[in-house]
Amino acid sequence: MLKDITLGQYFPGNSILHKLDPRMKIFLIIIYIVTIFAANNPVSFVLVLASAFVLMFLSKIPAKLILGGLKAVFFIMAFTAVINIFWTTGEHLLVDVGFIKIYAEGIEYAVFMIVRVISLIIGSSVLLTYTTSPIALTDGLERVLAPLKVLHIPVHEFSMMMTIALRFIPTLIEETDKIISAQKARGADFSSGNLMQRAKALIPVMVPLFVSAFHRADELAVAMECRCYRGGEGRTRMTQLHYHTRDFLMLGALLLFMAVVIVLNFVF
Amino acid sequence: MEEAKKAASIALRDVTYRYSIGTPFEKAALENVSLEFEGGIITGLMGHTGSGKSTIAQLLNGLLKPTEGQVLLDGRDIWEDPKKISAVRFRVGLVFQYPEYQLFEETVLRDIAYGPGNMGLSQEEINRRVADAARFAGVTPDLFEKSPFELSGGQKRRVAIAGVMAMDPEILVLDEPAAGLDPRGRKEILGGIRAYQREKKNTIIIISHSMEDMAVYADKLMVLDHGHVSRYGTAHDIFCHAEELKQVGLSRPQITKFIMELQKAGIPVESGIYTVDSAYREVLRIFKEKERG
Amino acid sequence: MSNYIIEAENLCFSYKSEDGTALPVIKNLTFGIEAGSFVAILGHNGSGKSTLAKLCNMILTPDSGKLRVGGVDVTDENLTEDDIYNLRRKIGMVFQNPDNQLVATIVEEDIAFGPENLGIAPGEIRRRVDDALRAVNMTEFARHSPSQLSGGQKQRIAIAGIIAMLPDCIIFDESTAMLDPIGRAEVMETIERLNREKGITVLLITHYMDEALRADRVMVMNRGELFLDDTPRRVFSQVDKLKSVGLDVPQVTDLVNRLRTEAGFAIPADILHSAEAVEILAKLYHEIGGKH
Repeated sequence: MLKDITLGQYFPGNSILHKLDPRMKIFLIIIYIVTIFAANNPVSFVLVLASAFVLMFLSKIPAKLILGGLKAVFFIMAFTAVINIFWTTGEHLLVDVGFIKIYAEGIEYAVFMIVRVISLIIGSSVLLTYTTSPIALTDGLERVLAPLKVLHIPVHEFSMMMTIALRFIPTLIEETDKIISAQKARGADFSSGNLMQRAKALIPVMVPLFVSAFHRADELAVAMECRCYRGGEGRTRMTQLHYHTRDFLMLGALLLFMAVVIVLNFVF
Repeated sequence: MEEAKKAASIALRDVTYRYSIGTPFEKAALENVSLEFEGGIITGLMGHTGSGKSTIAQLLNGLLKPTEGQVLLDGRDIWEDPKKISAVRFRVGLVFQYPEYQLFEETVLRDIAYGPGNMGLSQEEINRRVADAARFAGVTPDLFEKSPFELSGGQKRRVAIAGVMAMDPEILVLDEPAAGLDPRGRKEILGGIRAYQREKKNTIIIISHSMEDMAVYADKLMVLDHGHVSRYGTAHDIFCHAEELKQVGLSRPQITKFIMELQKAGIPVESGIYTVDSAYREVLRIFKEKERG
Repeated sequence: MSNYIIEAENLCFSYKSEDGTALPVIKNLTFGIEAGSFVAILGHNGSGKSTLAKLCNMILTPDSGKLRVGGVDVTDENLTEDDIYNLRRKIGMVFQNPDNQLVATIVEEDIAFGPENLGIAPGEIRRRVDDALRAVNMTEFARHSPSQLSGGQKQRIAIAGIIAMLPDCIIFDESTAMLDPIGRAEVMETIERLNREKGITVLLITHYMDEALRADRVMVMNRGELFLDDTPRRVFSQVDKLKSVGLDVPQVTDLVNRLRTEAGFAIPADILHSAEAVEILAKLYHEIGGKH
């Protein structure tokens, strides 16, 4: 059932990563991504991979859950690896069977690519999606991007839209389930026929869903106006974000890590 | 031939139903439930929120498949051949709670015809059924060519109910058909369903938490408590045990409570009263009896 | 200065249909709602009761007539946006569908939404949110997501969101219609408490007679006009009149009325609560015994 999809994959907890300020996490993830792409030698890659596992450990989220998430991208990784192995040319020829030529450099690139993807997924999921509630993330983004308001970019409006979307996703998923069931009970068949017929069979689901979504939007808009909403102007927030020592410690640790990786580039 | 005329009955045998199996949210909605709905009558299925009523509704017409146990339609397991489950959905109609959300067609008439249209019937038969269903559900001809979206809440509800009635199911299950309507709307909908049953002589199950309504419109009542049948019988039987209803989280009709208070005040009225009519007669009877000495 | 929080004089409103014809829904309405009172508005669907609520909150604008809400004349053309804003803070509104009025994914964030819009200082918002949660008995759910709550609980959160703006009056527009009996009882209990303890004026639009019984005053609307306007006791004694506009009367009221009019029992016409009815019937019954 649609209901079983857990959106955003937020995994509540009490680890140091959970407690970090969402704004800081956004900076940290940027530093981390830069570091991953700066790495270009075996020692750095070992360090990068190790750092991903350290972050995983810090998050206290079951490794099984995070590694399970990697399964989804397994094919992309395998595909990238194969392309790298067969299409990279270099100086050290390892295999030469007719048109297939495999170079040592190809294998190296493939391994590096896989390490990058794995670290990227683990790092970003434990730093952001698994340890930050969607609302905190939206909130953090709004505040990090706040300076853009000067350029007349509607930061508050985007953040409000995100919040409302997050709020209504479970409601709309439930509603979709309900409408599908109701039409099935009226004999709708969603699983047979050709593409055209299947697309047509969705009309009895899509029309009520849109009608209902518009209706909800309408009622919500009235309810928001009744609660004195008039955009971001003059609005205050109940939760104030404050940076703590742990935020700066994490920032320091990650900056140091980046420096080491960059220095290693010159050593090797 | 006698057999063929008999209205269909439907039963759950040792049914367990679990949600979200294999996720951290796994939960049993029903555990080992056995119950039977008699054919040819209106049964009011009652229970508080979370008692498993809505799950039962979806099990009955094969929208949900029992995790364990069987759903027996006229004694045969509906999941015997899973490929034929859509045929079961034609035999057991289901009207969801707030069914007006299922309307999608351009006109009222076409929306009512959607269900029968999926059954592969002749156009003639479809037209006949649509006209019949519209009449029972109280959809007046002046609405036929209108868009369902311009109707009032109560009218939409009636069109949605007609859409399922038009499939002419042997068993019709309705989940809270009168929810959110004003008293007049409630009476029209429930009265229409009753008239429909009396003419079709089919089997109807109405899910409701309104004791007042079910006491009047259902032939028999089934009270659910945490997924188990705590009591089954006529309204009189059920309301003789009115104290029990309170324990399972259902509110008793005001008049039933009132009769119990009269008993406490030393007026020997009989228990099991649930309508204003019967209360009126009972009070008169008891006063006359005493006047006679 | 009058003690009315809402005051209408010859109020008229009509919806414009597509072909341009006007469909009158509120016709020449004149009434006043006293500050601190608990008023129920009854009427079947289409009687104009919800339109009236939307007029009070300036979601709709009257065609003609006068309407003063919280001392502000809403028909005044010089009304600024700030005036409307102010009026909406004072007159809160709770709607029918609990799902379509909650904005945030966390209960306490949602309650904070109103005060945040008012630009209140963070510490003060925190205090108000905690107070509001306590007022609706939902403190333990502060960090829950609304999608985990029952209908009655969601509706109590919606109420808390309004309370946090410290309103003088709350209009409930069929706020119990979509709830099960348990949810309805929770919400009604909350509404009564707000009125009695916090002195908030309550305007309860409903079609449940038992809810209207709990009010100080009942206004019955029919076809955009005020059909009855009196204490519950006097309104519900007019059983035939209520039935003529498609409304039910509470079962006990109905029974007592029939005993009085059809069977000639010596019962006063304005019996409202079942305890009173029991007392009178018991007295009559035991008197029969006394004669022998």
